[in-house]
Amino acid sequence: MRPTTARTAPPVDRQAVRSARATAVPPAQWDRLQRHLDAVRKPAQYVGGEHNQVITRWRDADVRWALCYPDAYEVGQPNQGIQILYEILNERPATLAERAYAPWVDLEQRMRADGLEAFTLEHHHPLWAFDVFAVTLPHELGHTNLLNLLDLGGIPLRSAERTADHPIVLVGGHAAFNPEPLAPFVDAVVAGDGEEVVIEIDDALRAWKHAARDRRSLLRSLVAIEGVYVPGFHEPRFTPDGRLKATVPVEPGAPSLVPKRTVQDLSQWPYPKRQIVPMTETVHERFSVEIFRGCTRGCRFCQAGMITRPVRERTPADVQRMVAEGIANTGFEEVGLLSLSSADHSGIGEIARTLADRYEGTSTSLSLPSTRVDAFNVTLSNELSRNGRRTGLTFAPEAGSERMRAVINKMVSEDDLLRTTEIAFANGWRHVKLYFMIGLPTEEDEDVLAIADLGIKVLELAQQHGRANKVTISVGGFVPKPHTPFQWAAQDPPEQIHRKLELIKRAIREHRNLRLRTNDPDEGVIEGLLARGGRELADVIETAWRKGARFDGWHEMDTLPTWERALAEHGIDLAHAMRERDEHEVFPWDHLDSGLDKQWLWSDWQDALANRELDDCRWIPCYDCGVCPGLDLVHDTGWDGRTLPIVPSGSAGLPKVAARLAS
Amino acid sequence: MRVRVRYSKTGRVRYVSARDLTSVWERALRREGLPIAWSQGFRPHPKVSFPDALPVGWDSTGEYAELTFTEDLEVERDLARLSQALPAGMGILRWLVVPDGAPKLAAMLSHTLWEVELDPGMTVPQSDVPARIERLLAASSAEVIRHRPSGDKVLDVRPAVVALRHAGGPAPRLRAVLSNDGPTIRPSDLVAALDPHDDLPVLRHRRVAQGTGSVDGLVEALSGDHVPIDTSAVAEAA
Repeated sequence: MRPTTARTAPPVDRQAVRSARATAVPPAQWDRLQRHLDAVRKPAQYVGGEHNQVITRWRDADVRWALCYPDAYEVGQPNQGIQILYEILNERPATLAERAYAPWVDLEQRMRADGLEAFTLEHHHPLWAFDVFAVTLPHELGHTNLLNLLDLGGIPLRSAERTADHPIVLVGGHAAFNPEPLAPFVDAVVAGDGEEVVIEIDDALRAWKHAARDRRSLLRSLVAIEGVYVPGFHEPRFTPDGRLKATVPVEPGAPSLVPKRTVQDLSQWPYPKRQIVPMTETVHERFSVEIFRGCTRGCRFCQAGMITRPVRERTPADVQRMVAEGIANTGFEEVGLLSLSSADHSGIGEIARTLADRYEGTSTSLSLPSTRVDAFNVTLSNELSRNGRRTGLTFAPEAGSERMRAVINKMVSEDDLLRTTEIAFANGWRHVKLYFMIGLPTEEDEDVLAIADLGIKVLELAQQHGRANKVTISVGGFVPKPHTPFQWAAQDPPEQIHRKLELIKRAIREHRNLRLRTNDPDEGVIEGLLARGGRELADVIETAWRKGARFDGWHEMDTLPTWERALAEHGIDLAHAMRERDEHEVFPWDHLDSGLDKQWLWSDWQDALANRELDDCRWIPCYDCGVCPGLDLVHDTGWDGRTLPIVPSGSAGLPKVAARLAS
Repeated sequence: MRVRVRYSKTGRVRYVSARDLTSVWERALRREGLPIAWSQGFRPHPKVSFPDALPVGWDSTGEYAELTFTEDLEVERDLARLSQALPAGMGILRWLVVPDGAPKLAAMLSHTLWEVELDPGMTVPQSDVPARIERLLAASSAEVIRHRPSGDKVLDVRPAVVALRHAGGPAPRLRAVLSNDGPTIRPSDLVAALDPHDDLPVLRHRRVAQGTGSVDGLVEALSGDHVPIDTSAVAEAA
């Protein structure tokens, strides 16, 4: 499984294939791939041909994108970002976009032995033939897969080795808010919303291809687009004792601070319209509508909530139209109303009621992935489950003790939780899942044990409404992420996480209907290392990959020992990487502007350490996190600009920090 | 209204597993808004039933399904729409409205005509294959071991073989009519019986059609057409 660098180059004229007016079509590798499909696990993931796949002939386009989610198809296929960009790009008359995913290790082995190159699903074209290899990085555990795909796809691993005859390697997604560990491997980065910027990039590529100039001029035209970061045009500067001083532009035209991209009006981007319908099982099989983007609940651990601010809602009418058209175009049996906290849409009651009325008695089911701890959330779930089963409800108190929840700013009291779960069981729900994290800043063992206590209390309520009712507590290790108030926090070493999980396990041992689900603490180590690392990690990633690390987020793949060997080889200390950061420390991601004011993040971190909560800015005065004025944006407090937002879900004594700010 | 269809599963879609096939049909039916019936119970599913699962990766022009609708269709038009809505490589070839009291679909599929494409690059002389076929047909039993993760199983292939022919040349192939009574015998088991030295590599398995078998082929279940086993007639039959 070790990558081999000596693979025979395909006997194809790359320039003829890649030019705007292609005189040759890249090799379609379907016939060769077929020879291996009987011998690999889940072969349907490699064949494409799904309903709503877009087929464009190679010669009918002059700019060609390979969109990639760097994980297995079953995980990557449902990704909304790829789906949206796939539709937007394919709607352009002279643009072609195809999809690629990571081959599982069994196929990889055969591809390497046979010289078969990483391919897109639509035509099984090799990745090197495209103009852009665009990869979404939802988290850090796909980094080795990204390198593997470059290598398998005939694209030189490092940006410096690529010429005008190779694709631009472009990354986006949440982990692109700190792309520094991948800096030498990628050509360009976009942080934030992709809808508008892919069109600008597509135009720049087209202009460049018709002018047929060198690669550097292409990178220059890309860096001129707002929000595009070219790592090769920036360099880190260090203090004499080796600490990062700044990451500065070294190319004229490269901005010193690269802003994220933000789409103000979602109604102009009603995607997905024609979602791809998989023919083999994936992690989420449903038609998904994003009912709003952004979240200002202010949970201090939550990178998604911080980097996608401000809140922008879709109108209820748009949501209903998208649902109706989406079901007709896909035939999916389930509709998901997605966002970071779906019960928070200011019109969610109306949306849920209208959809429930419309689909009552049909075979279409509705789901609202919301984990908000309040009675209203149960009411919504009741409404949406009119058609069927009341099986499981999920709530996310995130921490076990009141104090710990104040630290992370999850404004839920124990009373809220117990009352809410009691209402759920009284309404016929049979199974409640509770999400928690351990390894949070300032955590003591009593905070950990409070998770077990809470689980036991909820179980007692559950059993009063039915002996067969169940409670699951799902416990994950906290990983500090860039652009959050917890970016300064220390990460618990895996031994600590294991020990704390044991504490919970022992405390709940005697409760048969209380189940514990955990994540592998090892994965959190790799995630944390890469999340807050800088360019010094690039060689480590490459070494780990060369030693066989892949699919780092899969429990089937025990890759931490491989990473530890790679770290040792490059003299990087894992404990140092997981340490608490100083107030004035310069971060590798400081030149990537999420809109959040670093001073505000620091003061919110200080509030956390003092157990002080901060309310949602949709119903308290602005506390100047920095996003709205910086991006010249308006924060939706409701889609129609008039509706008051839903009531806060927290306890009575709020708002705390708001009062302090006001005084 | 109940409708039985014969459909194809070829090309890319042949890698879709029998388990995933149900939702492929369900979603096509939903996109076309056809009034498929739903089972009752905790986890309702659309009433589309398949008498026999095809192994993943095998081609077929002889798949069958029975669909139950809550109202009458305009069958010709509606099934043409449904066929269009299925993924490329799948299409409805024949249909039959099921009269009340008709025997079960599985009972109409007592035999299967299979085709096995052999690798023309095989090491064994092609002339050797007919001799092996003769020996198999002359024997009263032919036991093979089927390897499965759950354990090996010994099967007698011979009782299931109604007819077996070989065609040589640049595209060598076997065609066989196998009985579906008793333990399921697959053409892969048949090849194992012909291939004690592991020198008969197979390129592709194809289920051609199902119905009532005889030594010359079979009578296809829905159309009543005769599908000959004679390999020289393959092109006409297809």
